[in-house]
Amino acid sequence: MNGLAFLSPGAARAEDGFAPRPASPLQRALEGSTGLRDLSLLGKVELRGGEAPDDVEAIRITPHRVLLLCEPERCAELLETTSGLAIDLTGALAGIELEGEVLMRRLTDLDLTRLPAAGKVAGVQAVVTSSGGGRYRIFFAQEVGHSVVEAVRDLQEGLA
Amino acid sequence: MRLPPQANELIDRSREVVFSFEGKPVRAFAGDTIGSALFASGRRVFSRSFKYHRRRGLLCCSGACPNCMLTVDGTPNVRSCVEPAHDGATVEAQNVLGSLDHDLLSIVDKVGRPFTPVGFYYRTMIRPRRLWPLYETFLRNVAGLGRVDKRRGRTTRYDAENRSVDVLVIGGGRSGLAAARAAAADGDRVLLVDENARSFGEEPFEVVAPACALGIYEGGLVPVAAGRLLLRVRAGRIVVATGAVEQPLVFPGNDLVGVMLPDGARRLIRDFALKPGERAVLIAADDRALSVTEDLERAGVEVAATVDLREHDPTDIFAEGRRGLLRAVSIDGVGHDCDLLLAAGAPQPAYSLLAQAGAQISYDADRGIFVPGGLPAGVEAAGRVAGEVGPLLPTRACHGDGGFVCICEDVAVKDMKRALAEGFDSIELAKRYTTVTMGPCQGRLCQRSSIRIYAREQGTDEAAIGTTTARPPWTPVTLGLLAGRTHEPARLTAIHHRHVEAGADVIWTGAWRRPHSYGDAPAEARNVHETVGVIDVSTLGKLLVVGPDAVEFLERLYPNRYSDLKPGRVRYGVLSTDAGRIMDDGTVARLDDDRFYVTTTSTGADSVLGWFEWWNAVWRLDVEIVNLTGALAAVNVAGPQARDVLAGLTRADVSAEGFRYLDAREGAVAGVPCLMLRIGFVGELGYELHFASPYGEYLWDVLRDRGARPFGLEAQRILRLEKQHIIVGQDTDSESNILDANMQWIAKLDKDDFVGKWALEQAQERGPRELLVGFEMANGTVPAEGSQIVRDGGPSGRVTSSRWSEQVGKAIGLAWLPPDLAEEDATFEIRVNGRLEQARVRLRPFFDPAGDRLKS
Amino acid sequence: MSFLLTCPNCGARDVNEFAYAGEVTRRPRTAPSFRELTDYLYFRRNVAGVQREWWQHRFGCEAWFLADRDTRTNEVLGVEVPGAAGADVAAV
Repeated sequence: MNGLAFLSPGAARAEDGFAPRPASPLQRALEGSTGLRDLSLLGKVELRGGEAPDDVEAIRITPHRVLLLCEPERCAELLETTSGLAIDLTGALAGIELEGEVLMRRLTDLDLTRLPAAGKVAGVQAVVTSSGGGRYRIFFAQEVGHSVVEAVRDLQEGLA
Repeated sequence: MRLPPQANELIDRSREVVFSFEGKPVRAFAGDTIGSALFASGRRVFSRSFKYHRRRGLLCCSGACPNCMLTVDGTPNVRSCVEPAHDGATVEAQNVLGSLDHDLLSIVDKVGRPFTPVGFYYRTMIRPRRLWPLYETFLRNVAGLGRVDKRRGRTTRYDAENRSVDVLVIGGGRSGLAAARAAAADGDRVLLVDENARSFGEEPFEVVAPACALGIYEGGLVPVAAGRLLLRVRAGRIVVATGAVEQPLVFPGNDLVGVMLPDGARRLIRDFALKPGERAVLIAADDRALSVTEDLERAGVEVAATVDLREHDPTDIFAEGRRGLLRAVSIDGVGHDCDLLLAAGAPQPAYSLLAQAGAQISYDADRGIFVPGGLPAGVEAAGRVAGEVGPLLPTRACHGDGGFVCICEDVAVKDMKRALAEGFDSIELAKRYTTVTMGPCQGRLCQRSSIRIYAREQGTDEAAIGTTTARPPWTPVTLGLLAGRTHEPARLTAIHHRHVEAGADVIWTGAWRRPHSYGDAPAEARNVHETVGVIDVSTLGKLLVVGPDAVEFLERLYPNRYSDLKPGRVRYGVLSTDAGRIMDDGTVARLDDDRFYVTTTSTGADSVLGWFEWWNAVWRLDVEIVNLTGALAAVNVAGPQARDVLAGLTRADVSAEGFRYLDAREGAVAGVPCLMLRIGFVGELGYELHFASPYGEYLWDVLRDRGARPFGLEAQRILRLEKQHIIVGQDTDSESNILDANMQWIAKLDKDDFVGKWALEQAQERGPRELLVGFEMANGTVPAEGSQIVRDGGPSGRVTSSRWSEQVGKAIGLAWLPPDLAEEDATFEIRVNGRLEQARVRLRPFFDPAGDRLKS
Repeated sequence: MSFLLTCPNCGARDVNEFAYAGEVTRRPRTAPSFRELTDYLYFRRNVAGVQREWWQHRFGCEAWFLADRDTRTNEVLGVEVPGAAGADVAAV
């Protein structure tokens, strides 16, 4: 959406001698981990009441709300061109990709045959999609990201 | 002791396993259980009973009774008859003083029994009361099961896993397997669980064994204990195929070592190639139990007598022994020497899980068993648990005058008669008074007998007595398994690690971790007054309210007026419930005609979001509410030099005229787009910057680099108190309203309607009970928060916030006072450490009352 | 408590994914008397039977919806998204 530049991580500019550096909320929590990929810097736009473009991965949450996943550089264009209310949630949501159905079943009681879904994972609100081949992507509020990664790594230990 | 190889024996004679029992090595085969190995080595006494320390031996060999319980590798109450023997295991007896064979506490049985009848603890050991700790210690050392090693419990790892299936089959016997195969053939996702560590062949469905279903809960949820893993199974259909349990007969001597259930003897022979005894007597009531004769003969056991209770139901059975071991049994006066007595009544369907699910349990008087019926949708019974146990006839409730009803808790027939004589005539009362069915077997072996005896003693029938309520867990389970892994979802701001690196004292506020101080809160506060400080306020709730009805929405929700708030301006707001109570406070900034940016308290963010979303579900206005709490980080840069710092970082006009107090501006700070709000919680010139959270650390570093010194929650508390700014939940509680909390100007009662309006109007008519005011102490003592205000010897108010303020040079605070005391300069007394200290009311902020610093 | 509740958007889920906001009430339409206001704020019908109540799928899609639940058995007979203009719910 226009006029909410302060919401978009992509709107920061190197200027006047400043060089803004964005950080992932999961960087420290993921140090030393295996089998986990950080998706926090992926572009995420929530669209309310509008039409999602065909060439963007879209996860429908309600008839009115859909979550779009894209390359971070594409967010600005999506915010400009889509109808309805578009909100840049790139900084709001952290994300990881992990592997293993058994690991997932220890993290959540969501039915893994009915993805994508919005529900409870590791005790927090999350959006889950399947990337195929036993891999799953989970998005959750960045402020609980550390706890989610801790939980995932703990459960990985139990499966080792 | 071992028989020749049996057709389906579970042992692998080519592999040896060695464990220790009471310090001595015991040799076993792979596939043996600890119980079978000990039996093979000649052991017959496996435990001492709960209360009377009587010798007990193998009875069921299936994990139902308590007789074989031993402590294995420090874990107490292990059913050794089903626990696989493993190399190096350390096995010990429990609940003995001395050894299993020479237990000094057996004196309780020989001498102490007259003093310990049923419910003795309700009549004895009452006076003197000061000896209760002694009585308790004594009893705990003398009776009970195993001991828990409290340190070990924390080092065992338990996990939980979710499963979603179409059909869950509980029990892998003949009927369970048939049900599972049929469902799998229909294309269903099937999971079968069985409590025995058996091996199953190739099946077209998943099998987990040993695994025990703990209960049937709402929504088809069945927790299953599978070793160190708890399976949370959700099933569309649950098939309970838990079979039927042979019931011990009740007669004098029925707990002697050598008295077994027929199926127990069968398992010893077939599974472990063990001869259960030399000379046996068999008394049973159904075909399956009676067929154990074949196994006995094959094992070379002499069968001295067989009684089919359907043909001949004796009046008296009397088993006699020496030193707890069976020597002979007499049936209606006819005696037989024997060392093995296989005795069982009709097999009882194991209906507990079905009862938990809501089945009706009724007594089939023609057969002498309880059967489940009236199953709820989605729950089925298959096989023996449904009552398919072959031809039966009812038999006597007990055979003779004596014997134990409940082996687990040492409840004898005379205990049940005594309970009845004392007036506990319902089976629920009898259970609670005698503890019958409350032991490890949970009624599997004794519930029916207890009900039948009660019916007989009261001259009524079993249907009138009924069954006790079945509750989970169906089998004893460790608390650790139910607890699983604990993960505490802490919330961290994007700047959190900088606080840790700076050595901050980090505390919990709600689910957030926040810096209390960086080591010297008064110095941090002083710094804000003198130069410039910066605090991480990213935890604030942040909501975007946008749409054509945004103004209408806010006007309906807030007591404040927002329709006249101009774009580019911000206003403090207080949310009220419909009962007029203060719910939360924060700011509302107008970004545009129909775009508002709302902040809330850190701990109130979740409820305010829910509140907003719920009211809009009711009103259905054309407005969107977007939660940006985590999307944005926020910092407050405050102090006389705040403007200078900001000016060096942004092209936006931050002059006094260009960016006035309560303005809201957007602009890039150090290259990062920000929403800047000029507000003043801490009483000095200040700017609250809201920006995309990935830049949290970056912007914090820049600000620190430019001289802003971090300050934490404690410094913030001192500063805001100097300005008499309230903290919702600290200075207000669930009863406080805006009028009483010294914020009358916020409530615009001339508005048509808003949430809480009527309640506030009525409160205004009634007048306040108490008012929130500022105060300062006469002598510098800081009263603890919560201290009582005392008037005429009684409580008359309370202190909600208090601090020493270096800036003001006084001890200051906020307090609730009766209205007649809440006047400028009025004095009152506060109880501090048992003494009454003087305080004086101050209605205006202690520091910079005119707000010049704030508005500079 | 482990019954399943069907979110109108997401389907059947464990009840612990939801927040509960009590039985549907009727907010007075005009300035109420003290008694009427107290009734609305503090008294509930609290039936032993089917109750119409508010739920939110807090850990999922966040939608608020109505459910008819039998308070004796926790059987949920139906769920629906509140109709236009909040036909039979509290309205200002």
